Amino acid sequence: MAGKSRWADTEEDAELEAKLKRDKEEKKRLKAEEKARKAAAEAEWEQKRIASRAQQEQALATEPTQHTNSEPATKRRRGKATDEDSSTGESSAKLLRFEAPTWKPTASVENYDKLNDIEEGTYGWVARAKDLRTGKVVALKRLKLDEAVNGAATSRAGLPETGLREIQILKDCSHRNIVGLHEVVLNDAAASYSNTNRKEPIEAVFLVLEFVEHDLKSILEDMAEPFLASEVKTLLRQLGEGVAYLHAHWILHRDLKTSNLLLNNRGQLKIADFGMARYVGDPAPPKLTQLVVTLWYRSPELLLGASTYDASVDMWSVGCIFGELLAREPLLQGRNEVDALSKIFELCGVPTEESWPGFRRLPNARSLRLPSSSNAPAAVTGSMIRAKFPLLTAAGCQLLNALLSLDPRNRPSAADMLRHEYFTQDPKPKHEAMFPTFPSKAGQERRRRRETPNAPGRGQKAPASVDFSGIFAGREREERGGGFSLRMI
Amino acid sequence: MSHITNPLATVEQLYSRSTLNALPQDLQDAIFLSMQSLTQAAGLLLRLPQSVTAQANVVLARYWVTISWPFIDEFSDISAASLFLVAKLSSHPTTPRDLCNVYAYLLSPLSPLFRPSAADPPSTTPDKTLYYLSEPGYSEAHARILALESRILCALSFDTHVALPHGLAVTYLKALDFLGVSPPAPLAQRVVGYLNTALLSPQLLYLTHQPSALAVAAIYNAAKDLGAKMPECAWWEVFDVDREELGFLVVGMRSVEGAVRAGREKDISAELHEGNMITRAGIETEMRKRGMVLGNGVNTSGSSENAAPLTEEDMLMRSLDERADQMDS
Repeated sequence: MAGKSRWADTEEDAELEAKLKRDKEEKKRLKAEEKARKAAAEAEWEQKRIASRAQQEQALATEPTQHTNSEPATKRRRGKATDEDSSTGESSAKLLRFEAPTWKPTASVENYDKLNDIEEGTYGWVARAKDLRTGKVVALKRLKLDEAVNGAATSRAGLPETGLREIQILKDCSHRNIVGLHEVVLNDAAASYSNTNRKEPIEAVFLVLEFVEHDLKSILEDMAEPFLASEVKTLLRQLGEGVAYLHAHWILHRDLKTSNLLLNNRGQLKIADFGMARYVGDPAPPKLTQLVVTLWYRSPELLLGASTYDASVDMWSVGCIFGELLAREPLLQGRNEVDALSKIFELCGVPTEESWPGFRRLPNARSLRLPSSSNAPAAVTGSMIRAKFPLLTAAGCQLLNALLSLDPRNRPSAADMLRHEYFTQDPKPKHEAMFPTFPSKAGQERRRRRETPNAPGRGQKAPASVDFSGIFAGREREERGGGFSLRMI
Repeated sequence: MSHITNPLATVEQLYSRSTLNALPQDLQDAIFLSMQSLTQAAGLLLRLPQSVTAQANVVLARYWVTISWPFIDEFSDISAASLFLVAKLSSHPTTPRDLCNVYAYLLSPLSPLFRPSAADPPSTTPDKTLYYLSEPGYSEAHARILALESRILCALSFDTHVALPHGLAVTYLKALDFLGVSPPAPLAQRVVGYLNTALLSPQLLYLTHQPSALAVAAIYNAAKDLGAKMPECAWWEVFDVDREELGFLVVGMRSVEGAVRAGREKDISAELHEGNMITRAGIETEMRKRGMVLGNGVNTSGSSENAAPLTEEDMLMRSLDERADQMDS
């Protein structure tokens, strides 16, 4: 209580203060009461639950039709609504409420002011734009529609399901390492007409995405010094967290590569481009398309034509990205399927029935002629990863080796990967806030056209069978001569 | 979380639909019911799993609350487009050709779909020309479906996500120890039956309640029907459903059957279908008929305040409709 000071000397002040104090005490008391009541109710409810469970079990065991007095709630409730408050256990139970979004007509792209193109290539078109309502800078990605969609009558399948899947998956995802989708907008004509129930074909669909300054690929190309070991760890851990989130939500990305990984100026990595992604179950549905993942990041089982695959194809790509972060250049730059596979075998060794049981049964493995394991030197079947990355720690090597296991069953899951000792050993992952920033490009982060091959096109036919017989054609002879030569890089 | 939650219709959406719509409620319900039944039938004939067809039903319902009379599309096309869209995004895509063929059959006089009485027994050699889809007919239907597909996507802001309650219901039954003790089939079957029937509900239950609530209500109803012993306490709260919600859904699910039956009888008497899918033209005729009846002061549809503007609106609608048709061809 305030004394006789010249600041607070009136009676009113004193009164007010007293009142405040009273209120506070009252509140405290109520709180405590509430707490006690809750605890009691919970206990009671728990007891009730156990009791009724036991009763139920008993009833099920003895006579299943006796239920007349267990028919509760809805009817009785009508008459005595006040009853609800007094029946303790029920009213105090805290129910989970779901946030329910709704749907509204798609808005127009006119709400965004284009600032500059970021990228224009085979994927379609991405631009930096400003939201005129909020002033926020976003990335606008124009969905690639089949040519025919514009003349709606002639197109065969309507809007491409890849684009629709991308939208759906991004809408469902919310994770700091996955690029955020704000909304989907249409070209003005289509948007305004759809609101008035008129017919106007969609000419363009734009994804309004969170704007991220860089992509990892351009950074790797431009940087003078490679990433520090601690920086590689931060990036790889963020990638792992994003992929783990996707896999936990039954999503396969199927096109992980450095050009699809974005990095903002606060050291945050974000997975982007879900054009190849899809939902899968466990076990994964059969007859998935093999034409996924950009060639350099494509796993050996996909190259060998497996049509049932799972999250491990993404983990192979993660392995390739790990290698690329260390080496600053793509790890396995195959010119075509055959070359890609031979590069994989060069790096990871040649599969044997022990290291990859059952690989011979894959569709394209029939034409594969491998050096017979009996007379091949151990080096052929062993991995070259240790030799290729001499600066990598033993734990790092072990992780990279595991990610690049030929047998998909041996690859760790994303969650496993995050628990790997590589991330706990020194040097510790660098804190994101400490991450170096990278200069923006002259044209406001305009990205260069890259020479990375593209993800396989939609509707492209998978080659009936790829002839891998040439891979080791020269090797057998070579071996008889001066032995199998190792290439140290 | 998105695997067990759905976007829901807002109060405004539902309100404006029921009050600002020029179409009387009973006609709206009849149209909705026939569209949903048609979608289910097509799903069966296309050998799509019920999970796909049910999602199409929900997408259709969401689109349905966004459109109002006068409709620019034929109701059967809306059904076909929803099914096509959902199937395309699922792991069971269907080709436009199959889809159009199936709908051509279902809309032909030979289809038993809207003729439960089987007044004329099927002849031994069905007249195939009745459901033969010519090449121009096919490309026209195809174009209509694709145009509608984009319109549905626009109306839903490209969100086609549907979480079905069926899987949750099985999990709940397991949690309640109903699977594995006694033969679970009858109860589980009944639960699934309730959930599928609720897709047809004119109350649009799938747009107003989350899957968990639907699953609990279906279990409650099924258990009551079969006399299964349920826990004495408020077991639905374990599944995050309160009594209010459950009570509403229990009644809502049980009323579907009556609504369907009443709707069928009334429609047949009103010659809305004439044994066929309800069409826009049929609705128009019916409206005109009612407009006259309303003008005479004998109100059957229960919406007297609509009486005066109805004929005027009707004219406008028809002219709009005709224009739409012209644009079509």
